Amino acid sequence: MLRVAGLTRRFGDHLALDDVTFDVVPGRMTGFVGANGAGKTTTMRIILGVLAATAGDVRWKGELLTHEVRRDFGYMPEERGLYPKMKIRDQLVFFGRLHGLDADHAAERTDKLLERLGLAERATDVLETLSLGNQQRVQIAAALVHEPIALVLDEPFSGLDPLAVDAMVDLLREEVTPEVPVLFSSHQLELVERLCDDLVVLSRGKVVASGSVADLASGPTTTYRLVVDGDAGWLRDVRGIRVRDVAGGTALFDVEDDTVEQQILQQAISRGPVREFGPERVALSDVFREATR
Amino acid sequence: MNALDRPWVLIAEREITTKLRDKTFLGSTAVMLLIVLVAVIVPALIAGRGGADKIAVVDDAGAKVVQQASTTKGGDGYEVTRVADQPAAEKAVINGDVKAALLPGQDGYVVLGKDRLDSGLESALREAASTVGMEANAAKAGLTPAELHAGTKVEAKLLNPGPLPDIVSDFVNIGLALVFYMTALGFGMMIAQSVVQEKESRVVEILAAAVPIRSLLWGKVLGSTVLALSQIVVIAGASLIGLLATDQSDILEVVAPVAGWFVVFFVLGFVALAGLWAVAGSLATRQEDLGSTTLPGQMILMIPFFFSVFAGSSAKTIASFVPIASSMSMPGRMLTEDVPLWQPLLAIAILLATTVLIVRLGARLYERTLLQTGRRLGYREAMALDSP
Repeated sequence: MLRVAGLTRRFGDHLALDDVTFDVVPGRMTGFVGANGAGKTTTMRIILGVLAATAGDVRWKGELLTHEVRRDFGYMPEERGLYPKMKIRDQLVFFGRLHGLDADHAAERTDKLLERLGLAERATDVLETLSLGNQQRVQIAAALVHEPIALVLDEPFSGLDPLAVDAMVDLLREEVTPEVPVLFSSHQLELVERLCDDLVVLSRGKVVASGSVADLASGPTTTYRLVVDGDAGWLRDVRGIRVRDVAGGTALFDVEDDTVEQQILQQAISRGPVREFGPERVALSDVFREATR
Repeated sequence: MNALDRPWVLIAEREITTKLRDKTFLGSTAVMLLIVLVAVIVPALIAGRGGADKIAVVDDAGAKVVQQASTTKGGDGYEVTRVADQPAAEKAVINGDVKAALLPGQDGYVVLGKDRLDSGLESALREAASTVGMEANAAKAGLTPAELHAGTKVEAKLLNPGPLPDIVSDFVNIGLALVFYMTALGFGMMIAQSVVQEKESRVVEILAAAVPIRSLLWGKVLGSTVLALSQIVVIAGASLIGLLATDQSDILEVVAPVAGWFVVFFVLGFVALAGLWAVAGSLATRQEDLGSTTLPGQMILMIPFFFSVFAGSSAKTIASFVPIASSMSMPGRMLTEDVPLWQPLLAIAILLATTVLIVRLGARLYERTLLQTGRRLGYREAMALDSP
């Protein structure tokens, strides 16, 4: 498990990170969300040792993260970058070796990834001659080539079209074994909701919410939504609930205990056709908005 | 080799293979090779096989003298051109058909030239005339040429070859300083560019996440030092072949003992500067910034270079102890003067200490500035930075 413990970072007078603590659990994708400038990239750079923390530390399996361990991590920085004038195969082999693979293993992994990404026939092309989408694929391959023990991806999907996102997600699911914790930041909440198991929400350098997406997004709700053919105004007279809003046949109300909603449903059916009835799910964007307000 | 323990070896390897595929680098090396070969071979060709000088003569006696002069010079130095009489000889000289004319004089010969007479030619003819004349006189006295020349042969032998003649030693001094200057400047700019390219393309963040920043620096310094030395070795090899091919191998006897010293001075000076050039790259954020960030490096090279080329001999002696300047002037001094052994050793000790200092300072600055991609930094500003 990767644990970020009490990370604090100052840039001059500016407190960029304030006691940031969270876990990235193996085999689970942890989404890292927050507004621009919330401190996501700073946190990730500290995890990768590119930036030092003012206070706090990063732990791997309970131990302080050392350079040797970190070398096996995979990292995709927010600012993409590889050698523009280097052939992509040479490039990936180089990064594989830089992360500790021997030359043969690095070459084998490179060929496999290029094949998987559909770039095999472009292996000897120079990076800058590839389209931006393909360059992005090479970039993710550079993060995966050494079979990393943990993955830190800063905005991995930004700039990709939906099909490319799906392709990349497939690749990640295929390449990432259950022992590998994955942390990725994104501002595309819909994507985070679809892909992530866990979520960490950062606001102005502080963790304002964290936990599993299921808990955060659709935790116990007391709000229900009813749509009937006729007018739903009768709900105002029912005891045990508090009506939030009624507009024609559509109503939103809170229940005061668990059993009331069934009684309401029965009553509604007896009055006429019911088109919709159910708990009102909280969208992740609401959680986000609420948390970062 | 286990790359895990030595990531700088990998970095150096990439630096070298990238450069070996770079057409600009290969092209400039080829041009340098060509220049060196031309410089070594052409003078020998001009001196040795430039075609025989034609000398006009009017009789057999003159022809014999010219042939003798030619034999002394190695066989094909002068060519006899027969003309009818003195006016014809004068005409040939004026027209430039012949280099000179050898005419019978009152008591011997007259050498006729147009506007000036080549001193080598004049003395060669003078010597040949005297030999021919003396041999003829000796024959009258009943001596064979061998008897005449017995015991007069003088052979030159040097116990301690060098110092070279003044003009040659000036050339050697300037040449060696120039080799260091050009190589250090060329490869220095290459290091700075390579660093700033990594910053510009942002690949530096992935590199820094994978290996310690110091390893990146060592790898670059190592790679470029290997490249620079190989280039010098290749060029030295080419000039060696050139010297051997043109029968000038005697120069080697003087140069060879100093070659090892040159390598030591070169490597130490180069490594110290390489550290600085890498910092120049990491202070910049774009290629355009290099003009200002590499200025100190250029100055550190240029000032000692002009000093070691133009300064007087006592100033040159001082310069040969000053770090960096010593890399340019000490090997040259050793070639052209008798330098006591303690002097190069002391110079190396000073240079080594300076190199260690500069490289340490360089590594510190490099670590602090490499990941600053916002804007160009100054040296003073960089000194004040905290570690990242």
